[in-house]
Amino acid sequence: MNFLRAIIGQTLRNLRRTWSSQALTLLTITLSVLIFSFFFLIYINMINAGRHMGDNLRLIVYLDEEPGKPLQDEYRRKILKFDRVERIEFVSSRQAYERFRKQLGHDQDVLEGMPRNFLPPSIEVYPIRSLATLTRIKRFSDYLQTLPGVLKVQYGREWIDRFYSFVKLMRVVVILSGLLLLLTTTFMVAHTIRLTLCSRERELELLRLLGASNQYIRAPFFLEGALQGLVGSICGLAALYVFFDWFRLRFAGTAVLNLFPFTFFPIPVVLTIITAATLLCAGGSFFSTRRITRL
Amino acid sequence: MTANSPRVMVELIKVSKTYPPSVHALQDVSLSVRSGEMLFLTGKSGAGKTTLLRLLCRSEVPDKGLVEVAGQDLERISGSGLQQLRRRIGMAYQDFRLLPRHTVAQNIALAMEVAYRKPSFIRKRTRELLERLRLSDKYHTPAGELSRGEQQRIAIARALANRPDLVLADEPTGNLDRETSTLVMELFREHEEQGATLIIATHDRELFDDGGHRVVELRDGRLLAPEDGEDTGSGDASLQSEEADQ
Repeated sequence: MNFLRAIIGQTLRNLRRTWSSQALTLLTITLSVLIFSFFFLIYINMINAGRHMGDNLRLIVYLDEEPGKPLQDEYRRKILKFDRVERIEFVSSRQAYERFRKQLGHDQDVLEGMPRNFLPPSIEVYPIRSLATLTRIKRFSDYLQTLPGVLKVQYGREWIDRFYSFVKLMRVVVILSGLLLLLTTTFMVAHTIRLTLCSRERELELLRLLGASNQYIRAPFFLEGALQGLVGSICGLAALYVFFDWFRLRFAGTAVLNLFPFTFFPIPVVLTIITAATLLCAGGSFFSTRRITRL
Repeated sequence: MTANSPRVMVELIKVSKTYPPSVHALQDVSLSVRSGEMLFLTGKSGAGKTTLLRLLCRSEVPDKGLVEVAGQDLERISGSGLQQLRRRIGMAYQDFRLLPRHTVAQNIALAMEVAYRKPSFIRKRTRELLERLRLSDKYHTPAGELSRGEQQRIAIARALANRPDLVLADEPTGNLDRETSTLVMELFREHEEQGATLIIATHDRELFDDGGHRVVELRDGRLLAPEDGEDTGSGDASLQSEEADQ
């Protein structure tokens, strides 16, 4: 208990004495967390949007002739062999005609005189809803194209390709900003603590002569680093939330926000970011104070 | 002083220390100091008094010889053993070694904080020492703003704060007037009565002229034999040097 009291007292004194460099480090950590979490927020919302869009995703495989029951079973078997899907529906020429007629609504008279089987029969394949499906859909489509009797495979190919490229880009940005966070937090904290160590060399030597233990000398620096990580990450996330809230209010009711649910990080993710930043900063300070033991 | 403290608190056997290029600070110094004894170490400036005290708190290591404090060989002790021993030693440095931006109270408290004393004890002991040294009004003053005499008293207060078993004082009254010197000596005697061992390096003869304590003199790094007829008052503590052996 006395140890803790002494360490906390020492930490608070250090923070008061070196508040200017501490503030600079805190600002750097805050900005790093803000940059990282900004891109990460976009990334996870992209993934969510991908899932959302995937709900309506289907591959339409047009066939040259109506498949009989054995051929349907054969198609089903081959499709399931390639990949797991949510469901497979066979649409006959007549069913396609009926659907089309309904879609035309009041304009259905344009179909007058047309044979009821002028639309090709098709298979509608509904893949499992996940982002991974999006990444595999092209391969799936290429495979379906190879099946006998297939005229054409249709899906929102261009849209999916673009979306997937963007998600890939975002993934790189998130990794890079994560690295930035890693470097700035550990290096800035380590650098600040090294500077503090230099400026307090005389004091640390005196503490040694008075019989201070390594823990007594190192623990306040460790605590300082952890505190900077904790406060810096909370500030960064709070700033991001303010921006997120502004964005949501500013663009409320717009097409994009209506289409995709734009959400903030769930609590576990917030806690993970805070914990990671705190541990990184504490780690940085821990390693930079190793030389104290050699004083 | 604990019941199991050794009878001899300080033991130096043929200790030598040379600073580069060839300054012989101490040469074959042998000295024993009993537990609970107050010993005056005298000699001119540069005689080796400060070096001897620095060896005793292991700020320096000897080139040759044995240095033992509280039965522990200082050459072999390290890590937590050394830290614990240093907490039992109170050193008042000649250059004070105060932290100028810390307040007077914080400077004194430092010695007790590293020993994990309770805050209530630290506050009480700090006030008590400041009162004894007539510095109560300086409690919150940064040490850097004090006069040299005041700084010296703070350095002494810090050395005594933890009620150490061994007090090492390097010229503790060098910047003090007669009246304040008396105050400091009273405080030292009080700690002696409580069982602490004190080694006071000084060239102020008035401090030891009462004859009640053993006085040893260093000259050019060598310990001189006591003058004929001079009582060292050391009981079974021995005073030796190469010169004495000769």
